[in-house]
Amino acid sequence: MALARGCARLDLESTGVWLLLAGAVLAAAVTIPTFRDPANLVNVLRQSSVLGILAIGQTFVIAAGMLDLSIGMLTGLVVVLACWLLEADPSIAYTLAVAAMMILLGASVGLVNGTLVNRLKLHPLILTFGMLSILQGLIFTFTDRSVGSASPLLQSIANDSLWGIPLSTILLAVVLVLSHLAFTRTRFGYHLVAAGGNPESARRAGINVAAIRLACFVISGAFAGLAGLLLAGRLGTGYPLAGSGLELDAIVAVVLGGTALAGGRGSVVRSIAGVLALAIISNVLNLLGVSAFVQMFVKGLIVVVAILVNQPRRENP
Amino acid sequence: MNHGHTPLLSVSALSKRYPGVVALNGVDLTADAGEVHALVGANGAGKSTLMNLLSGAQSPSGGEIRIAGQSMQFAGPSAAQEQGIATVYQEFSLVPQLSVSRNIYLGREPKGALGLIDGRALRTQTIALLERFGLKLDPDAEVSTLSVAEQQLVEIARALSFEGRILILDEPTAVLSLAEQENLFAIIRQLRRDGMLILYVSHYLKEVLAIADQVTVLRDGEKIATRLTKGLTVDALVETMTGASGAFDKAAAPRTMRDEPPYLVSYQADTGTSTLTLAAGEIVGVAGLVGSGRTTFAKALTGNPLPTAIADIRRAGESFRFASPRAAMREGFVYITEDRKRDGIFTELDIVANATASALNRLGRGPLRDVRREKAAASDMLTRLRLVASSLGAPIGKLSGGNQQKVLIGRALLTEPRVLVCDEPTRGIDVGAKAEIHEILRDLAASGVAILVVSSETEELLALAHRIVVMHERCFVAEMPVEEADDMRILLAASGGAEVMEKNNGN
Repeated sequence: MALARGCARLDLESTGVWLLLAGAVLAAAVTIPTFRDPANLVNVLRQSSVLGILAIGQTFVIAAGMLDLSIGMLTGLVVVLACWLLEADPSIAYTLAVAAMMILLGASVGLVNGTLVNRLKLHPLILTFGMLSILQGLIFTFTDRSVGSASPLLQSIANDSLWGIPLSTILLAVVLVLSHLAFTRTRFGYHLVAAGGNPESARRAGINVAAIRLACFVISGAFAGLAGLLLAGRLGTGYPLAGSGLELDAIVAVVLGGTALAGGRGSVVRSIAGVLALAIISNVLNLLGVSAFVQMFVKGLIVVVAILVNQPRRENP
Repeated sequence: MNHGHTPLLSVSALSKRYPGVVALNGVDLTADAGEVHALVGANGAGKSTLMNLLSGAQSPSGGEIRIAGQSMQFAGPSAAQEQGIATVYQEFSLVPQLSVSRNIYLGREPKGALGLIDGRALRTQTIALLERFGLKLDPDAEVSTLSVAEQQLVEIARALSFEGRILILDEPTAVLSLAEQENLFAIIRQLRRDGMLILYVSHYLKEVLAIADQVTVLRDGEKIATRLTKGLTVDALVETMTGASGAFDKAAAPRTMRDEPPYLVSYQADTGTSTLTLAAGEIVGVAGLVGSGRTTFAKALTGNPLPTAIADIRRAGESFRFASPRAAMREGFVYITEDRKRDGIFTELDIVANATASALNRLGRGPLRDVRREKAAASDMLTRLRLVASSLGAPIGKLSGGNQQKVLIGRALLTEPRVLVCDEPTRGIDVGAKAEIHEILRDLAASGVAILVVSSETEELLALAHRIVVMHERCFVAEMPVEEADDMRILLAASGGAEVMEKNNGN
């Protein structure tokens, strides 16, 4: 507790993730020569784009005081469906059509999530956990092995670079800038943190809290669709387990970024810093040859510390 | 209180300092057995600090507390209890799932064989205690089934079970209806006869004058005076508390007549339908006892209806029934909450964001925000409301209650309301800020806003409203111009026309 209080004084909520990121980069750059290899750095960026897009979507939902557990399986479903659809016709035009369909599919799942949360007054955690299970069931009813293949366009977006910068990173940057503007410069962004901080105050202030919640789930779902397309391009084939666990990684990144789990506060930029910090830590552990199980352990520790620093604290009157 | 006799409680030069703040500064206080001694002061005057020092919840930075001549140092609340000081806080600390007797003797239950609780002994003990102090409670009732007033009695019984000589009551009537309050006062008088010292901390000055023998006034952490209540008036007391007279302007501002037709409100509650008019430029006060349905009405009027509380509003051929606060706001009906923390402020957000929460669509362009314009609008409004804050970028949680209330009023005003409904606009606010908020509401009415003020403080309604309506059992039962209104008439109507018990000081 004393630690948490001391950290709060430094305002670790907003600066903590940058300290973590800087620390990770510095430590890695000094100790591991291969980390500094540009190819490795580009690789880290490329690996971060799928999770980055998911984390941005999740930031909207969490800042609005909710949680979306369905995005991992939704990403997985899009991977499988997109590859299956594109196997027959990998043309650019058809790829674009499929891409639009997949993003729409993601948005629709978000629409269902949001509508049910509003109508049935279900806790988002429970509801989206149910949705996770339903989507998982759908995927495995459809196939239990890899199906189809991603079209050249998807593969190119996921793996190629422009002037040394991965295309997927550019895509992530565009999503990030637009989302950041939505957060800070639109009425929606403000109403979102208000509704997340105190839904009853927000309702009384004339804010349409139900519409805000719905919009957050739609955004989160659509971004999961986009992330699924990118992941399909990276994998090259429709692997049914591709999306499992991604929702938790996204939540971890958002929490590392200082977005309050209870809602009312959030920054997509810091969520991306969280994603990068996680990616670098994981990259370093890989380069050091640390086993995947020990990596899980390390990730768990980071989450616990992040939540300890991030937990709501009482103001002294 | 004769000389040569050691008083039961004697406090000298008592101080409490926090880094950067002196909460209590060299306070002297003497009080004796068989006395009800009130502590009053504006918010931040040091009442709570003094109470916490006496109850052992905090330890003083300087000075001395003597009980019956003996210097005391309390390691904690339980140490104070052992020395005979028991405290009943405003917020109860009962275990709702346990019975009355279990709560009273929690942690001190009589033990029988095998160290188990001896239920029979516990019951006998509880009945004896309740009878001794004339408390009407069922020892076996589960606390969760009791009314708030009964729960307070359980707290008092628990405090009395320590066989103490000093009982501290913190805002004991805040949660009580008039009849329950009379019952509590009867118990307090009984305890006084039994030779206890009761320290009575309260905002409600009239009650203080009714129940206390002496009153000590604190201001800014210092003791200003201790006075006998006999012959003292509320005005004089307010003057001592604020150091300035006229905190309550008795004369209501003259009503500005307007040509606009008034709103006719027809309010359907489970007990029947009653009507009310609201005219531009007029302040209507809504009086009523706790539980009379004032807040439910205020909410129904502004878009929070219940199946058993629906407000139909008509004016000049138009008619409205609002289903949400948003819909009400579109027609200019705005509600300012009685519970700022629960459904008013956004603690995490800054002052500007809190002030502009309802008005972003007016201040932005399309879906985009215009942050500069928001800041300017908030800053203009809050200057108008004379808000004192170091920076508008500070989180609202750091402001005092009065300033938070001003921000909420600012939020409502930025929507340019036609009907402003203020529920307890000055609850938990110190006397100075209270007068300012009254002034703001008067100015608003003068500018043509129809204002409805719901308040438990009759003085506030008498000072503020042009017309007072009284609610009883969820209906409007009386309506009077303020010139014809007084405490007695209002109380009489609010109690359903029944005889109002006279509060008197003596016994």
